[in-house]
Amino acid sequence: MLLRPYLRLLALCLAMLTPLAASAQTLDELVARLPDGSYDDRAAVVAEIAATGDPRALAVLEALLEGELEQRNSDGRIVIVGGTRRAPTGTDALTGEELGELGRRATERIRVNNSLRRTIRTAMGVMTLRDPDPARRLAAAEAALRSPAVEQLDALDAAMQAEELDYIREAQTLAHAATILASDADTETKIEAVGVIAGAPALTVQSTLNAYRAAEDPALAEAVADAIDAAERRQALWGQAQNLWFGLSLGSVLLLAAIGLAITFGVMGVINLAHGELVMLGAYTTFVVQETIRTHAPEYFGWSLAIAVPLAFLFVGAVGVAIERGIVRHLYGRPLETLLATWGVSLILQQAVRSVFGPTNREVGTPDWMSGAFQLGEMTVTWPRVAIVVFSLTVFFGLLLTMRYSAMGLQMRAVTQNRAMAANLGIRTGRVDALTFGLGAGIAGLAGVALSQIDNVSPNLGQGYIIDSFLVVVFGGVGNLWGTLAAAMSLGVANKFLEPWAGAVLGKILILIFIILFIQKRPRGLFPQRGRAAEG
Amino acid sequence: MSKLIDLRMGLFLAALFIVTVLVPIASTLDEGSAVAIPSYLIPLMGKYLCYAILAVALDLCWGYAGILSLGHGAFFALGGYAIGMHLMREIGARGVYANPDLPDFMVFLGWDELPWFWYGFDWFPFAAVMALLVPGALAFVFGWFAFRSRVSGVYLSIITQALTFALLLAFFRNEMGFGGNNGLTDFRDVLGFSLSAPSTRIALFVLTALALAACLVIAKAITVSKAGKVLVAVRDAESRTRFMGYRVENYSVFVFTVSAMMAGLAGALYVPQVGIINPGEFAPANSIEIVVWVALGGRGTLVGAAIGALVVVAVESWLTANFPDLWLFALGALFIVVVLWMPNGILGLVEKLRFRRAKAPAKTEAPA
Amino acid sequence: MKKLLLTTALCAGVATGAVAQEDPIRVGILHSLSGTMAISETTLRDVMLMLIEQQNEEGGVLGRPLEAVVVDPASDWPRFAELARELIEGEGVAAVFGCWTSVSRKSVLPVFEELNSILFYPVQYEGQESQRNVFYTGAAPNQQAIPAVDYLLENGVERFYLAGTDYVYPRTTNQILEAYLMAQGVAAEDIIINYTPFGHSDWQTIVSEIRDFGSTGRPAAVVSTINGDANVPFYNELAAQGISAEDIPVIAFSVGEEELAGIDTGPLVGHLAAWNYFMSVDTDENLDFIDAWHAYIGDDSRVTNDPMEAHYIGFNMWVEAVEAAGTTDADAVIDAMIGVAVPNLTGGISSMGANHHITKPVLIGEIQDDGQFDVVWETPGLVLGDEWSDFVEDSAPLIADWRAPLSCGNFNTETGTCGGSEMAQ
Repeated sequence: MLLRPYLRLLALCLAMLTPLAASAQTLDELVARLPDGSYDDRAAVVAEIAATGDPRALAVLEALLEGELEQRNSDGRIVIVGGTRRAPTGTDALTGEELGELGRRATERIRVNNSLRRTIRTAMGVMTLRDPDPARRLAAAEAALRSPAVEQLDALDAAMQAEELDYIREAQTLAHAATILASDADTETKIEAVGVIAGAPALTVQSTLNAYRAAEDPALAEAVADAIDAAERRQALWGQAQNLWFGLSLGSVLLLAAIGLAITFGVMGVINLAHGELVMLGAYTTFVVQETIRTHAPEYFGWSLAIAVPLAFLFVGAVGVAIERGIVRHLYGRPLETLLATWGVSLILQQAVRSVFGPTNREVGTPDWMSGAFQLGEMTVTWPRVAIVVFSLTVFFGLLLTMRYSAMGLQMRAVTQNRAMAANLGIRTGRVDALTFGLGAGIAGLAGVALSQIDNVSPNLGQGYIIDSFLVVVFGGVGNLWGTLAAAMSLGVANKFLEPWAGAVLGKILILIFIILFIQKRPRGLFPQRGRAAEG
Repeated sequence: MSKLIDLRMGLFLAALFIVTVLVPIASTLDEGSAVAIPSYLIPLMGKYLCYAILAVALDLCWGYAGILSLGHGAFFALGGYAIGMHLMREIGARGVYANPDLPDFMVFLGWDELPWFWYGFDWFPFAAVMALLVPGALAFVFGWFAFRSRVSGVYLSIITQALTFALLLAFFRNEMGFGGNNGLTDFRDVLGFSLSAPSTRIALFVLTALALAACLVIAKAITVSKAGKVLVAVRDAESRTRFMGYRVENYSVFVFTVSAMMAGLAGALYVPQVGIINPGEFAPANSIEIVVWVALGGRGTLVGAAIGALVVVAVESWLTANFPDLWLFALGALFIVVVLWMPNGILGLVEKLRFRRAKAPAKTEAPA
Repeated sequence: MKKLLLTTALCAGVATGAVAQEDPIRVGILHSLSGTMAISETTLRDVMLMLIEQQNEEGGVLGRPLEAVVVDPASDWPRFAELARELIEGEGVAAVFGCWTSVSRKSVLPVFEELNSILFYPVQYEGQESQRNVFYTGAAPNQQAIPAVDYLLENGVERFYLAGTDYVYPRTTNQILEAYLMAQGVAAEDIIINYTPFGHSDWQTIVSEIRDFGSTGRPAAVVSTINGDANVPFYNELAAQGISAEDIPVIAFSVGEEELAGIDTGPLVGHLAAWNYFMSVDTDENLDFIDAWHAYIGDDSRVTNDPMEAHYIGFNMWVEAVEAAGTTDADAVIDAMIGVAVPNLTGGISSMGANHHITKPVLIGEIQDDGQFDVVWETPGLVLGDEWSDFVEDSAPLIADWRAPLSCGNFNTETGTCGGSEMAQ
């Protein structure tokens, strides 16, 4: 069902290329028919629209693909809808006339499904091979590669000749080669085409060439098999790099989650079971920031994370200071009781968030500049992950520098190493305690901003990270920031190398067993603290 | 008062005895009577007593030997699984698939034969021994490695947490052969007695009460023995004890193992009364909750730990049924209040009031 | 402690004794309001309160008002059993609407059996069960999974990646699907089954595996039985790695409007879900229901989903059955339930089968960029839930029929016996 109308349509589209007088109907009539009938009917109309050769057809199809083509209820006019969801505006799909605000529920969307979307894309591909917009030309070439049709060969050829941008010509060359394979060209030309495709990314090689593995011509079959084997070898090699990258990005998530704890637990010795909830508060701060921007200034949405970062730090930091002043400060020297009290705090925070925001997931969007992926050799690197790795390292080194070089950091270290002596030297230990705890909490808030991009923003968010965070800090060595970094990264990488052959669950169990055994061997973690402070 | 049974232990055991006698009687009264206890409350009270045993077990190793285990739920769950496996086998061919050889969930997953580690669980004494032996053995091996390497303090706490977390993940796996997420359930009878019969319930309740009393006495016996004194010394100054020539690790391993076996016993009694055991029992949060009970009741007092468990669990039950939207606030606030204003737990508070009345100087027995 | 227990006992005594005056019919609601499952179950508590309020405005049932008794089992399975007992014995409820996970249902089953009460279970589940005291208003695998892969096969998909969370529902569903797909001529090497733990949050490896799996030039699809919490990071990763529905569609059985509410669905347009209800279905009943829901909850942006419809159907069926039986007595109501038919929200009439499962339409929807589903396919008629799957070897000969004289939840048609002798009684 998916393929049949699609092939039928392809034939129709191609018919358009040859001057046929079949398109008796005007674009206006066809567009008016779009809202009626089933998806299959709509696919047929799309094909006919493409076949009109009308210059306005492209805009109509594009709007249909994006789900922006709607029918006005009052007069049945087909409009392209823009503006925001709350205040939609419209332009007439055919005349381009501005219709101003439409009002909510005044229009009905013309619905598309997967197979119709494919159909539209292919139809548009044929029309846009030589479009002035490079993005459209690229999309057209990619569509041609995905569904090579012999009739397109000449058009591709012409497009290649005219193309000035290298990366688009490359895509066109690939599509051209794939089309040759599908055609009845001689073996030599075909083998040449296989050679062209063999240079593409491994996944493209496989998806394009697999069908020709059983080619009748033994020479061609061999060339195809060689190309696929080479691609698989390349992929296997890059697979290791990919695992390493996955591991580092998982490690960065662990680092972010753990680094705040490395302060409150590692430096101050507070067994802070509310740490996960502080992370969660950071994520909800991001949500609130985004909601505010969405309702008041949607054009600044791209800045939402940049705004959320300082706010989350300050807000969660303030919550941290409040927890320290209200509760933890009474419990210094009784670390196990901080466990109890912070457990209580975590229950309260969870339920508070549930009462305010409801128990369901909240949507935190990804700004456009952070979405998407790029290809590095045979591996796909996604921008959100790059952003998280960069962010977590920035936070880490920022913290490291603060602790080492700022006056505040010096005081923090002094107080944790020898409280009485620090007090004698005139350091206001109470204030330093509050700020240290606040710093740890603020960093947890920063982690929340990052985690809101990849995980559920729900009251349970923190629960998923608390155990991992403690393990990372302990594995790295309590009180040692470098240890936390090394622990997070090595656990992340180990996890990702285990996962492909042990599975996600077993991999994690193996890591836990490894940590348990490792602590037996080195009871104070990777980087033990030396000297008197270690005997605590 | 003997050394073994001091005043508060005596009072607690007496109260426990009275309850154990009265509850079965009250439950047989007809419903109109003012003191009648509905039969559905009996397994619930039995469950509370199981938690009390668990709290005593943790108090033994945390309160007296300074071993803060954040993974005691694991031993509890292992004991529960051992008995659960036996109860599963007792279902026999009465399962939904009527398969005499395999528990329902194995039929469900398309398994052909019983995995080797299920052998023997048909026989109750074997299961009963395993309920103590498996947690004990795990604790022994784990403790032997950990204490010899002198892992202590928070490091020990965190790796016990890792242990229970690893077990949680493992038991969630359906391939493990323990029923995955659903765990073991649908039990029918134990030793031929139907689990839903009031008499069985009362018997289990009484048995649990006896087990609690026994655990209290055993734990007390350990703490007042010479070994107990050494343990307290380890708790308060490990290095000094070591320098005095004691093999610290041996004492620690011993008490950790005993404590784990008590937890296993609690789990074994828990499962037939609640009718289900699943990997959720391994969740680290459950283990943290045990610590909360002990701290709330009064660490290093044994009786206090049992009282702490009973109070928290009863309050929780009551709140979840009556204030479903607010109970987490109340519970969280309770923990904070206890920590800030009752540093020695409920028992500490009681003691303090008693001493104040007697105008004697307050003496804290359990250092934090 | 003794004192405390006595007070508890006393309270229970008072509670049961105080019913006589106004004599409302009490209805238990057993959904987690805290813990990991609160995210899904709280909504069901709210929808039940709304339905009960509506019913009371219409004069209640049997001329008596309804009174909801809400408890919080806190995602703790033994507590489900404990509170079920409390509801039935302590609060004297006539029926309970509740549970979400299979394990919570399994945990309360013996309680309902022993105390002979009624449970309405509103969530799609693995089947392989039919209990006299339970009415299953969610989908059985044949009402969701099989039509879904039929749709994929029809669309030319040749390779299947079955991704699920490691628990009983995905295990069973995938087992059934594997057998079914093989019977449809899909080769064993074209089916991959993968399980991940609950709350799995790092999907990089698996999504890249899926990408490789789908790049062989033959159409591939993912059949997802990934559970609630893990879905947001899964879909986020799908979007990030640029897997579009046109290349490798993902069809999910546990992702509804509520789950999508936490995701930016822009990059996910076209991925699929199979349910028996979508919020976008355009019928008067549904629009009324949505309006009522928005008015009740006071928030226009809240969505409705399949389990809510299941409660809607189950509750209305219960009301009908109680009216028909003229009493809330469990035995009478259980007997009256079979054959009761009420309108569902998708324009049909759902009825209760003799196996305690209901008839429902099967809808397949594509995710839209507004977080809604657009129905692209539906079964021509309603489908009755099949409690014992024909594609699981041991359950193929089993049927359930709770009408006299058979009255058995697992009758073996080959041996002519009722399986678990105690269950049959």
